[in-house]
Formats: sequence, structure tokens, C-alpha cells
Amino acid sequence: MTTTTSTPTPTSATADHDTAAISMQDVVKSYGRVRALDGLSLDVARGEVHGFLGPNGAGKSTTIRILLGILKHDSGRISLLGEDPWAKAVSLHRRLAYVPGDVELWPSLTGGEAIDLFARLRGGVDTRRRDELIERFDLDPRKKGRTYSKGNRQKVALISALASHVDLLLLDEPTAGLDPLMEAVFQQCIREAKEEGRTVLLSSHILAQVEALADRVSIIRSGRIVESGALSDLRHLSRTTVAVQVETDIPQLTTMPGIHDLVREGTRLHFSADTAELPAIMRALGEHDIQSLTATPPTLEQLLLRHYGDPTGGDPNDPSAGNGADRAEGSDSASTRTRPRKGILTREKS
Amino acid sequence: MTLLTSADDTPNRNNARLNRTHHGRHAENHAGSEITGLWTLLRLMGRRDRWRAPIWILSLAALTAYFSNAIALVMDENSLSSMAVFAKNPVMGLITGPGYGMDEITIARFVVGMYGVFLMIGIAMMSITTMTRHTRAEEQTGRAELIRANVTGRHTQLLAALVLTLVMNLVAGFLMSLAFFFSEAKPDPFSSALLFGASIAAAGCVFAAITGVTVQLTSFARAASGIAGAVLAATFVVRGLGDMSAVSGGDLDWLSWLSPLGWSQQTAPYTLDRWTPLLLSAAAVVVLIPVSLFLQSRRDLSAGIFADRLGRAHASSGLSTSTGLALRLQRSSLTWWSIGIFTMAAVFGSFTGAMKDGAAGMPKEILDIMGGSRGIVDGYIGYMALYFAMIAGAYAIIAASGLRSEEAGFRTEPVLATTVGRGRWMLSWTLVTLLGSLWLMTLAGVGEGLGAAASTGDWSLIGPAVLGHVAQTASVWILLGLALALYGWAPRLQGLVWLVFVYSAGMAMFGQMMQLDEAVLDTSVFVHIGQYPAQDLSAEAVVVLTAATVVLVVLGVLGFRRRDLVTA
Repeated sequence: MTTTTSTPTPTSATADHDTAAISMQDVVKSYGRVRALDGLSLDVARGEVHGFLGPNGAGKSTTIRILLGILKHDSGRISLLGEDPWAKAVSLHRRLAYVPGDVELWPSLTGGEAIDLFARLRGGVDTRRRDELIERFDLDPRKKGRTYSKGNRQKVALISALASHVDLLLLDEPTAGLDPLMEAVFQQCIREAKEEGRTVLLSSHILAQVEALADRVSIIRSGRIVESGALSDLRHLSRTTVAVQVETDIPQLTTMPGIHDLVREGTRLHFSADTAELPAIMRALGEHDIQSLTATPPTLEQLLLRHYGDPTGGDPNDPSAGNGADRAEGSDSASTRTRPRKGILTREKS
Repeated sequence: MTLLTSADDTPNRNNARLNRTHHGRHAENHAGSEITGLWTLLRLMGRRDRWRAPIWILSLAALTAYFSNAIALVMDENSLSSMAVFAKNPVMGLITGPGYGMDEITIARFVVGMYGVFLMIGIAMMSITTMTRHTRAEEQTGRAELIRANVTGRHTQLLAALVLTLVMNLVAGFLMSLAFFFSEAKPDPFSSALLFGASIAAAGCVFAAITGVTVQLTSFARAASGIAGAVLAATFVVRGLGDMSAVSGGDLDWLSWLSPLGWSQQTAPYTLDRWTPLLLSAAAVVVLIPVSLFLQSRRDLSAGIFADRLGRAHASSGLSTSTGLALRLQRSSLTWWSIGIFTMAAVFGSFTGAMKDGAAGMPKEILDIMGGSRGIVDGYIGYMALYFAMIAGAYAIIAASGLRSEEAGFRTEPVLATTVGRGRWMLSWTLVTLLGSLWLMTLAGVGEGLGAAASTGDWSLIGPAVLGHVAQTASVWILLGLALALYGWAPRLQGLVWLVFVYSAGMAMFGQMMQLDEAVLDTSVFVHIGQYPAQDLSAEAVVVLTAATVVLVVLGVLGFRRRDLVTA
């Protein structure tokens, strides 16, 4: 058993510590005629947990595999921990750990063997930490790879990655298949990793997870980053949902700029407001007798739907656009109109 | 296709109608509910195999046409009678068959006697792969679960696969009859050509039924094919020993009747023309199918008959490097190959004594061709070295294709995400296979030598046997090198190395017999090293083949380093 005794933040204090952890500019990757990445630019600072959001097929996994040097990009500039991920793949991999969304294990190797193997191939395993993680994730390491469920295979890859002392964690939908208890353990582990100064790129479509963990997020759509920034900044770009209970009608709301989807239900008014117009709207409301008011900040889901929920702005062949429309449910009349007939039939039946 | 989608597509207007038809089917199949959905599944399998099945069938027919036309065009009266002598030699009995009708040889008898068994092996491979693909492979991937969640019976999938495979066999057999009958060999009558095709198809059908049983035993498609392949190898050896005994006038010829390949060969088309041995094949199918159904009803979906056990909680120190991993992943297959090859070599070797005694009773002119009674022993051992090089060649190609299945199974990606570079991963895998081939050839030599020494009492045979076998390793390596070069540059074309293998093996076994030019013969990878101790060893050939292997491996690594990995 090899045990590395390096400190939690081993090489991050080297000369290149002031460069970004990940810097990608105008990266293009094509598979034949399909452009998987279409001028993608992504920056991840050292020590941050960066949420990487987008639906299936948007290019998240391709991006991560290019960062791993497993796929070769066609054009654009990439620097990973200050190095070229394709040319310096081997030395870079000493400093990073990767968890794929679909973990495949060797049928004849046990989970424990796979955990040790990956960690050793990465440069060493911290046996104390490994055992602690096996305990926390409640994994039986003696079972053969072929007998694990998807969630348990995921745990094997997570434990192995988290048990290595690396600078960077590349996590590609790492908790697909984990139950809520394990999801909580995972989130705690990522917080600890952040406290130890590690950088985490967390690709996910579990929005609650990203909201809970990420310092900054990037949203990818059809191979491009369409939005990137701190969650609080991104919220500014979106709308706040407001519900007020009033005695009398407030006619000027219908004409005020920045108010959308105004609905009246008896004495309750619902609308969404552009965050930038919020002060003016609040002043206008202040002149009336308001009995109650709730304002909900935009959720990450709404942020995403802004980019994916509107089928007119997107690729009509992109199935994610259709899904987004379904989930936006009535908030956007355009999407209702363009919803395929079959969908309506389905709804009526159910 | 259409049936499947309409069944999934519940929320539409056709729902009511669909439900009615489903109910209707229920009622119809109430009695045979274990096989409900047979026709639907057969159509699905036909759809999946719409290219694969015709390619297999037509390849077998084309191979038959090639053999019969080539022999008919190459052979004249003289060469044919010298061939007859060659075919009566016990080693050829071991490899090809009981040698019916070789005393009054005709082109038709020659084709049937020399090539029949290879066509049977080919069709058996078709049966094994088709059966596994539609049964255990489906369970392993979880697709069978989706099928079984619909209105299908417990045995539907197995029976549909059996029907498909048996039909493929019958069609292939019939086309092979036609290909043979209308070839330049001009065999007459047609009924005998039909018997030839039927006997080949019968062997295929028996192996379809055998695979139906082996897929029940383990939860892995590859293991299931492996067990069926091992049965095929065993039946080949058993009938080989029987046929060798028959050719050299021994009293072990009954061994041939223990093998499905033997039953098919005992029909002796164009000599005895008897259909009765095929009753044994039919009986085997009729017995094996209920056995497979019984085993299937004794187990859960996706489970094998053998249960999984718990393993180590932590990796041993051997599993710390990419080479350790490659060894671990190839270990169990290498173990099985080792057991198989050693047993086979020891059995073949132990027949050396019988052959030497048989040679004493042979006519002098035949004995001279074989190089005297000492010569026949040396010739046998030398030929066995070539023979085991072919078997180890198959091992090396299969092991090299493991590199591709690792990648296609998305298990290479996490390895390359560690500090293991592409070159290192590929070389680790290669190293294990290179040494594995060397190890297998050594085992074959030791087995052969021990068997030969024990049966003749001449212990000086061991040294030359081991040397002769080990020297052949270089011709195995070149096949490995070729497979790896293809893996690096065009992994999807890796299967092409099998063509090189079949061609080289065919040239080495039959090229001389067909009196081909030296230059044509030299295109085979197996003919350069020399069948020691009967022939001299060519050190030059060993060096050149090894160097070429190194070049091919390096080429492969260069290719692998510049291409994208196959990812999910």
C-alpha cells in the first residue's frame, strides 16, 4: 500500500499559481459535419467551484474530454493549469482527477481494486482518506464491478477521485444515479475540496446542486458559452417573480416597463419583473395598500429556461428546446403556440 | 421497428386499437405464453442482422465455391493421386478428416475430405456468435430487460435466436451445396452435394444448440462464446484423434463418433453417401434445446447459473501500474488458453508413438515421402509447431482486439485520465500479449515434447519440440503487430487481421499441396521460420519478423496518439 503524505494543496503554490485553472478561447471541435463545440470560451479561476450547465448534447462532455486530452480540438486556444492539455496530458493528469457521468468498471475487478488502481495510476492513494470516503459513501468495495448498480459505479469513481490529492477535479455529471443521501455527502465533499483550495469544474444539470455549490456558472448551448458569471450577477439579468395582494386594482402596472406575464386572480396579482426595473415597480406599488407581498429571486432554472426555453430563438431540431418549453408551462405564450399537436393531445388525456 | 415504436407510442389515437390487438394476441397465445412474441422478436433480430446474416451465409458459400473451383483448376490427374497419398498421412487425418474415398480419389472426394471440416468450423463460429449476440449479449447490456418488460415470454428470446440461427444454417448449407455442385469440380450427383451441404449445416445446428446451453451458464457474452468455442475445439481434437487412428489403421476410430464434427464427416458424401449419421446431429439438437430451456427457467434474467462472489476490498500491490492492469485483464483468458493449449499439445504429442508404429506398416514409397520412420516423427512435431503457431495467432489477435473492446466499453478513458499516457497503455497491453504468446508456444512445445517422449520412449524429442515451437512465436507476433497497427490507425478495420490470418494459415497448410509458387507461398506469415526439427530454423526469419513486429507496434502507437478516443 502506497500512502502519499503530500499536503492537501500540493502543487498549486508553484510558479503558475496566478494563471487561471482553465482557459479556453474559441475552441472548435467537429465530428464530421457536426460541430460539437462552436467557438467555446470558458474561464475557470483557481480555487473556485465552477458550475457547467447545459442539456444533453450541448457539448459539456466534449469540453471536458478535450481538457483531458482524450479528444483533440480542431482550433482555438486552451490552457489547463497553465499547460497544453493534449501535449502535456500525462503530467497534467498527476494534478487532476476526473469522474465521468457514465462510469464503466471492469467486470472482474472489485470496486475497491478499481478505486486503488485509479488513485495509484494518478500518483498514489491516501489510504486513510480512501477508507473514510468508502465509509461516508457507504460502498461495499468487495463487490465485482459487474454487480454494481449505476449509482455504486459512480461512487467508485468519486471516491477514487476525492481520495487523490489533486489541484483540479473535472466532474462530468458526477452524481447521476446517486440517491439524495449520497448527494448530500457529495456536496459536503465538494465544499471540503474547495476549502482545501482545489478547483472544481462541475458539469451538471441538477440545478439545485449547482446553486448550492458553484461560485460561478457557465451555461453552454449548442457548443457555445451563452452566459458566464457569478450566480448573483446572472440573477440580475433575469426576472424576479412577484405576488402581491391588494384591495384595489393597479392599472398602471399593465403599462409599466419591465413587467411581464401579469395575471390577476381575485385580489392577488402575479407578475415577473425585470430585476433592473424593480426599484421603480416597488415605488409604484408603495402608493397602494398592499396586504402582502412575496418576491422570489430568479432560480437557476429560470436562468436556464431563458436560454433554452424559447424555441423560436433556438435550433428547431434541438430537442432540449422542446423540453424547456414544456417545463416553462404557460409562462411563455410563444412556446405554447409552437408546441407540437401531439403534446397537447397527451396533456388532454392525462 | 414499426411494431416496437407503435407499442411505445401510447398517447395517440391508435391506442384503443393497439390495446385490442394486444388483448387479441394474449388470447391467442394463452397456451404458449412462454414463447409469446416470437414472431415480433424474430423480426427484430432479422432487422438487426439484415447485413450480418447475409454476409456470413454468402461468405461461407463463397468459400465453398473458392475451394472447389481452385482445387478443380489446379489439380490434374497426377497431382491428384500424389495428393491422395498425402491425404492418407496420419497428420492430415488429424487435421482434416477420416479420408473417405482417398484410394480412388476424385476432385469431389478431395474437396469434401480436405475442406469439409474447415467449412464446419466456419459455420459453427457463425452459430456461436449469432446465438450469443441475440441472447446473453442482450441480457448483459440490459436490452433484454426492456424486451421482457413487454408482452414476451420467458423463453421467447432464446427460441427466436435458435430459430434464426437454425434457419441461417439451413440456408447456408443449401447455398454451399449449390456452390459446390455448380463449381469446376463438377461433382455428380446433386444429391451428394446436398448431403455435403446438409452435413455442414448439421454441425452448425448442433453448435447453435450447444451455445443455447452455454449462454445460460455465465452472465457474460464473451465467456459464453468462449465456452462454446472450447467445446468446438474439444470436438475438433476428439474427431481428429479418431480420424488419425482411422487413417493409420489404429483401433481408436470410434473417437470420431463422439464428436458433432465427426458425425457430419461420417456422412462421406461422394463415397458412402449416408444420411444416417445426421440423425445423431438432429438428436443432439432435440436434446440440447430442452436442456437450455430448463436452465433458463432455473435462473433470473441477467444472472448466470454460477453466482458472483465477493472479492478483495483493496487492490494488491501488483495492481499499481498499467502493465499490472493489462495483465490482470488478460489473466483469466490467458489461463484458459494455457490449459487448452497444453492439454491439446500433450494429447497430440502422445499420438506420436502410435503414428511411428503405423508408419512401420506403411508402403515403402509413402514412407519415403515422409522421410522414414524417424522423419515422420520429426515431420509431425515440426508440423505441430506450425499448427500451434496458428492457434496462438488466434489468441494474439483476440487479445489485441481486447484493447479495442476496452476502449469501446469506455474503460480506456478513465485510465487515460490518469498519468498513464496513450503509448504506455498500448505498450502495457502489448507486452502482456507478446509474452503471453511466447508462453503459450512454450507450453505447446513442452506438452508436445512430453507427450511425444512418453509415447515413444525417446526423451531426446523434448528439446527439439520446445525449440521448434518457441521459434514459431515470431510468426504469431507479426499478426499481433498488424492488429495493433490497425488499432492505432483504424480501429474499426482491426478485423481485417483475421483475413491475413486465414489466408496465411491456408497458404501454410495447403499452399504446397496446391503446388503454388514459392513467391506466392512466401506471402504467408507462417512459412518463414521453418518446421523444426523436420526443417532448418531460419534465424534470419525470426529476426526479420520480430523487427517487423516492433515497427508495426510503434506505428500503432503513433496512430493511437494522434486520434480521438471512442467516447460515450
